[in-house]
Order: sequence, then structure tokens, then C-alpha cells
Amino acid sequence: MLRKPATWHRRHDVPWLIAFVLPAFFIVVAVQFYPLAYSAALAVQEWSLTKSQEPEGFVGLENFVEELGDETFRRSVRNSVLITGGAVILEMILGVCLAYLTMGSSWRMRAVRTTLILPMVIAPVAAGTLWRILLNYRAGLVNHLLSLIGIQGPEWLASPDWAIISVILLDTWQWTPFVLLVAGAAIASIPGDLLEVAAIDGASRWKTFLYIELPLLTPLLLLTLVFRMLESLLSLDSIYSLTFGGPGYSTYTMTFYIYTQGLRNFNFGAAAASSWIFMAFASVSIALVFWFQRKDW
Amino acid sequence: MKKVMLFLFIIALLPLGSALAQDMPHAGAEIVATYMQSGTYDVGAENIEAAFEEATGIELELVASPWAVLNQNHITDLTTGTGEFDVMSGEFWIASVYDKMLPLDAFVERDSFGGDYIPTIWQPGPSGYFDGKRIGIPYSADAYGIVYRTDIFEEAGLSADWETWDDYIATLDQLAMHLEGSDIAPSVFSWGASEQTPSIFLGMYDGYLVDADGNYAVDEESAIAALEKMASLLAYNPEGAAGLSIDESNSVFLTGNAATMICWVSFMRASAQDPDSSLVVDNWAVAPFPGPGFPFLSAWNLFISEYSENPEAAWEWVKYYINPEQSTQRFVELGVGSPYLSTYEDPELMAAYSHDFPGMVHNLSRAQSVPWVFEAFEIFFRNTSELVIGSISAEEALANTLAGWSEVTVPPALVQSAAAQGQQQDM
Repeated sequence: MLRKPATWHRRHDVPWLIAFVLPAFFIVVAVQFYPLAYSAALAVQEWSLTKSQEPEGFVGLENFVEELGDETFRRSVRNSVLITGGAVILEMILGVCLAYLTMGSSWRMRAVRTTLILPMVIAPVAAGTLWRILLNYRAGLVNHLLSLIGIQGPEWLASPDWAIISVILLDTWQWTPFVLLVAGAAIASIPGDLLEVAAIDGASRWKTFLYIELPLLTPLLLLTLVFRMLESLLSLDSIYSLTFGGPGYSTYTMTFYIYTQGLRNFNFGAAAASSWIFMAFASVSIALVFWFQRKDW
Repeated sequence: MKKVMLFLFIIALLPLGSALAQDMPHAGAEIVATYMQSGTYDVGAENIEAAFEEATGIELELVASPWAVLNQNHITDLTTGTGEFDVMSGEFWIASVYDKMLPLDAFVERDSFGGDYIPTIWQPGPSGYFDGKRIGIPYSADAYGIVYRTDIFEEAGLSADWETWDDYIATLDQLAMHLEGSDIAPSVFSWGASEQTPSIFLGMYDGYLVDADGNYAVDEESAIAALEKMASLLAYNPEGAAGLSIDESNSVFLTGNAATMICWVSFMRASAQDPDSSLVVDNWAVAPFPGPGFPFLSAWNLFISEYSENPEAAWEWVKYYINPEQSTQRFVELGVGSPYLSTYEDPELMAAYSHDFPGMVHNLSRAQSVPWVFEAFEIFFRNTSELVIGSISAEEALANTLAGWSEVTVPPALVQSAAAQGQQQDM
């Protein structure tokens, strides 16, 4: 029997390939590109529901200029940087430390790891409410425990600085387990012979970690960092239930700002412009992390 | 023979069908009504849903959502013209889409609807109006008030008959002296729920909220004085009060740790008289909310969407849900403030709520809604919150607010509401 040439196969398969790819293509266009394109179109239009029920026309980059010049928006960027920066750094350090401390496959270690992971499975809005109760100045558990060791607890949610710290604490409490999980898996995958060689060569535990384990863990840790940065920047529900962005504008983050502009004030043009600025901000942050990852140290 | 019998049977049923059709002219219609998910208004609607369907033959679907989602749903529905909801529960927060609500004057007139509403509640502002036409029917009424501990006041020889905030503050000074050395604070308020702080400001401020040109504005001198006075009240509160939520503030009062509380009375009424959750049962009363400003009013309305395909059936639900009997029942069962005078004049209820009704009626009769869209409201309460925590001065809070307000347009319906309630600057 004569075999058909490869080119015939390729030509014959093309319609089938298109038939299989097209549905996925249309779904991606519908759920990703269309909303993005629509929000880009909104971002260059004046549209506030309190003024008009339909877009009021093209305004170019005016929305972007206004948002960048808005003191509340700039403050929300500062708050986002502080909260995300503080929380993610803490989560990475604590997560890696806990991963080392809970290494092993004994039932005790497995139980400890399972317990540590629990905060991650609580809905953020519930976690915010829970911490609101814990951080209550008068009757909260945290200040009660502090008082037992003679420390007068702060007004966690009524002071601008402590409110920021409270949000960082909540994020750290809830998402350190994620870093623990990833770091734990990465540590377990480090080839044992490398560590053995280092031990034979007389390397201390610290030097083994610094020169062998850390370089091997870095790619995965950087990826984890990217995930955590994105998640933390996008976080809204936990802040909503913990501080509602307050006191004043103290914990008003970029996502809180965009949510308020779009879904509470119905300033669609401004909300779309802020979303694009947010996306640019997040993209640059992530690009920096990837650049760091590719750099040959 | 069978066919003849069947024919006669159908003929015999016709008058009955006709009678049913007259009693249930909208039988078979399907309507959707929205409520805030609060365990009160929505539960009140659920409680009578089956009876309404049985009495009218109308198929009713109730949709309850949290406050923010409810408003989003309404505005999206009306802006896009989707027409998913026939009857909408709302307040002035959705004034930007008031022009998409059905005028109800013809319905009100035809059915002589109204009853013995508290006069202020039936007026534009508390009642939804657009372009001089009624679009909303109020079904609840709650005004900011001050509750006080009758036992402490009696011990101290004080009375809660203040007329102005200066009178109230003078009473707090006397209470502070009387309560010195105890764990009881002269006053408590939910300072941590920053959206509540404007309620005190509105009580202290004596001026306009919209200028003659229809823009958000205030009389600056009077506003700064009110802001400073508002912030000064924190000193009479227990330690850590700057972070108190509404529930936490209520808890301070209910556990006997405050002599007075500035609050929504409906949020604490039921639990204050419940021995399981209150240490002040029968030892509290509602006092007048001081002036020269007004008590902030919450008056939920039912609106009918102009996109409703069954406006008559929707009106049937409005009438069924809003009437003196149902309002009194919701007050008794769920603690929802009634907009009808008859609730507060019911002899049995008057006896049971003698500590509550006189002050409540007094406050409701002076209460007003505000002409703020949420954006204007948020700009104001965020800045007053910054003032309360000491981050900025009263002058800065006002300057920031006015700068923010300059970007916000007042919907025509709210300019009209401000004018009707005397909140607009004279021309």
C-alpha cells in the first residue's frame, strides 16, 4: 500500500486543526481580549453615571492624567506598595524558614504542615472578619495576650500605621502557607548527592544553604514571589472586611480605589484608566522579577 | 349526552371564573422584587410572599443582596435597560437612575394610597421624587438618635432634654464628673465605622449642602465649627473608641460601659431589651437628637422600574408590602422602624415602648435624608475619619472634601431633594 506523503497529511489536517483550535480561540477572545479591549475603549472616554447614562465621548488620555494626579490614587499606590512589599517579604522569609523547620515525612511533621496550611483555605472575607475580632482594641485576643506579658496593645484598626501593619499581618498569616508548600516541595526535590558532596567537603549547614540550596531554590521562589505579589496587589475582600480601607484612606489600596471608582461611584472611564495603570504597574513589577530571575548572578 | 353535560358544566363555571378574574386581575403575572439582605426587610418580604401570591395570583420572586451589590444591580439593570427587576428597594444612593423609575402619582391617586405617614417621610427627599413626580414609596424609617442610661441619669440628677449639641456636651461633662473612677464612659459612638461620622456632623452643622448653582458645597465657617465639635466628642468615649465598629459600639452600651450612645436606634433596639445580650434591659431610653442640624434619616423606598412589563402587578406588591398593618408587624417582629404614625400611636405598643417611642417620633419628625451620591459621601466620610484619628485638621478635612466634591456632579433628583428639605443655598 502506498503511503501518503507528509505534505498531504499536513494539508489534510489543517481544517481539523482549525476546527479544534477555533472554539478555544473564540473563548479566549470573548473572555480575555474583548473585556480588555472594551476597558481600553472606556479608559479614553468620559463616562460617569452620575452625569450621563451613556459614554460622553472620547477624551484621549485625560482620564489617565487625572488619575495619576489624584492624591487619593497616589496614596492608594503607596499603600499597595507598602502592604504588598511588607507582606510578600515576610511571607517569603517565613515560608522558607517554616519549610525547613517542617521537613520530614513523620506523622508529626505532616500534621504540623496540615495545620499550618489551614489559614490558606479560609475565604479572605472571613479571614478579614476573624482578624477584625482578634485585633479589637478592647476585647480582642491579640491585645489580651499582649496584656498577659505586660504590653499595652495598640489601637490596631484605629491608627493609620497599625492599620497598615494589621493588613500586612493578615496577608502574611493567610498566605505564608502557600510559600511553605512550594518551598517545601522545592527543598525535597534537591538532589541528596549534592548535599552529601558538600558535607564531605566540610561545608557548614549555612554555606550549604547559601551556595547550593538557595541557587537551586531561586527560580521556584521567584515564581512564588510573582504569584504572591499579584495576589497581594489584587487583594480586596480581606481589606474590605478588616478595615474597609480605613481609618480614613490609611489602607485604601489600588484595587479598593478601582472597585470604588467603578462599582460604587460608577465612574467607568476613571475606573478603566486606573485599571490600566494598575495593570502596567503590576506588569512592570513582574517583569522586574523575571529580569532578576534571568540575570546571571 | 356527555358533551351536553360538559358544556353545561363549563357554562356554570364561567361566572366563577369571571369573579376570580375580577378578584385577581393580574393572576399569572410574574414580577421580581429586590431587597437588601439584612435579615429584616428581606425577611419581612419573605414572610408575606406566599400570602401575596395566594391573594393575587401573581408569581413573585424575591432577590435579596448585600447593600453594595443591591445598588450595583439596580444601576446596571436600569442603565442597560435589562428590566430584570420590577420592584426595586432603594434610597437616594441610586438617584443617578431615578429618571428610569416609573412615576407613581397616578397609582397613588387612583388607590388613595398614603395613610398616616409621618409627614416628613412622605415628602420629597425621604420619598423618592424625580422632576416633581413621586417615584418611591417609603417602607421604613430610622433616624439617628441618642440612647441613654435612665438609671445613671437618675442617679446623677440629670435629664436628657438637650436641644443643642452644646447642651449634650455639657451633660457629658457632668456625666464625666459623676462617673469618675468607674469603667463607664459618658458617651460611645462607632468611630471606627467611618461612614457613620457624617451623621454627627449633620446634627451639628447648620447650613446648606448644595449651593445655589446645584453643586455640592457647605457653609465653610459653620462646617469647620461642626467638624471640630464632632472630633471633640471622641474625648468622652472609652479608650480605643476610634476603632469601634457599629456592633462593638452597641456592645459597649449593652454591657453597661457607656452612659449614652449616638446610634441608629433600630440597630440596638431588639438586643437592648434581650436579657441574654444586654445588661441594660429597661434601663435605657431614646433621647432627642440635638440640633441645630438634623438627624440623618434612613428611609427605604420601593420603586417600580420603567422597564417593568407588569407595572400593575408590581404596584399590587408595593401596596401589599407597604401599609400600616404590615409596617407595625415588621416593627414588632423584626425591629424595622415604621414610617406610619399609627405604629407609634398604638396603645399596646406605646406601653411596651414608652422608653423608645417619644424620642423616636421626635427624631423622625425632624429627620432628613442627604443629597449625597455615594462618591460625595465617601469623600466626606474618609476625610472626617482622617480628622477623627488626628491625621488632618478640620480645615484640611473640609478643603480636601470640597476639592473632591468639585469633580462630582449632583444628580438633578438630589438637587430637587435638597431644595425640598431646605438644604440648598438661597439664590
